[in-house]
Formats: sequence, structure tokens, C-alpha cells
Amino acid sequence: MTTAKRNILFGGLGAAVALLATSFLAGIAVGYLRASGVTVDLHAAAFWGILVLSVMAMVGAMGVSVLWMRSIDEAAREAHKAAWFWGGSAGMSVGGVLMILSSLPGAETIVGAAGLFGRTDPTAYMAVGAFALMTLMLIGYGVVWAWWWLARR
Amino acid sequence: MNNRLKALRAERDWSQAVLAEQLGVSRQTVNALETGRYDPSLPLAFRIARVFGQPIEAIFTE
Repeated sequence: MTTAKRNILFGGLGAAVALLATSFLAGIAVGYLRASGVTVDLHAAAFWGILVLSVMAMVGAMGVSVLWMRSIDEAAREAHKAAWFWGGSAGMSVGGVLMILSSLPGAETIVGAAGLFGRTDPTAYMAVGAFALMTLMLIGYGVVWAWWWLARR
Repeated sequence: MNNRLKALRAERDWSQAVLAEQLGVSRQTVNALETGRYDPSLPLAFRIARVFGQPIEAIFTE
């Protein structure tokens, strides 16, 4: 195994262990406080806990991505750059059409606005929009990445 | 840009994988270089020249 691959493996494992350990310790802390008779707002604790964990997860993912991007060769990097720009931009353009449509008066009659797991609160709609945009960008990314390599076979 | 990578590799009886290993790139990248569908960066072009023991201009032509 090359040094770069070992760094990616251990970096990823380290991030996962840090995430699990933080979750575990946060659970123990909340349990201890409640057992000691301290009033803990579970909703607020869950919110802040998940916020910290998601930031940790994304920082970890970004760190592993940096290690991985440094480990691949220049052609593979070019493929990802092209995929990011052309695929991501194309996906974002499709999302842009949906965004304009959804801002029209009476959009609920022309845009199939779906909630998240049955939820229909504003945050759920915001999350659906974020997921939809990310999905479109990822589809574009995948298509252009595959095209880049197929065109250079 | 044209190149003589495939011919130079064949002269040495190297597989794409062997050349890729020497250049520190993937086999797919060697293939893309040989078909002329990917132009290498200057650092990679210098590495290629070093591996084949020839000047860059003897390997790559416009």
C-alpha cells in the first residue's frame, strides 16, 4: 500500500473514530446530567450535538478529499476539475430552472413540491431543495467525469 | 499534440502498466497520453523524457 493510500485510510478511520467517540461522550454527558437531576432540553441538546457532529463529519470528509485529490495523478485530477465545472454547472443550471419556477406566484400548482419524510414544514422544504440541487450537481458531475475518460480511451 | 510514446514503449517492450509505474501515473493516463487525447503537464513531460532518455522535443511534436 502506498503512503498516500495509507494516509487516506488512516485519515478516514481517524475521522470516523473521532465522530463515534464524540457521539458516545455526548450521550454519556447528557445521560449523566439527567441522572444527576439537571434539566436538559433534549431537543436543544440534539440540535447542538448534531450540528457539532455534522461539522466534524464534513471537515473529516474534506480532509480525506484533500488527501485523495493529492494522491491521484494529473489526468485523474483534470477529469474531476472538468466534472466539477461542467457537470456541476449543468446540474446547477437545471436546479436554477426549478428555483425560478418555484418562486413564481402559484408555484405549488406547477411544481411538485414534496416534503421530507412526510414533513411539510419550511425547513423540510429547504432541505428538499438543497438535496435536489446537490443530486442534480452530482448527476452532472458523474456524467461529465465518465464522458471525460470515455473520450480519452 | 502528437507523441511517440507508444513507439518508444514498444521499442522497450514495456506494457502500459510498466510505463505507468515508472511515471507515477495510472495506466488509463498512459493510454490517454498515447492516443494523443491528453496532453501532459510540463513536469510530466519532463518525467517522460527522463524515462525514455530523450529530449522532450524528440517525443512530442505539434
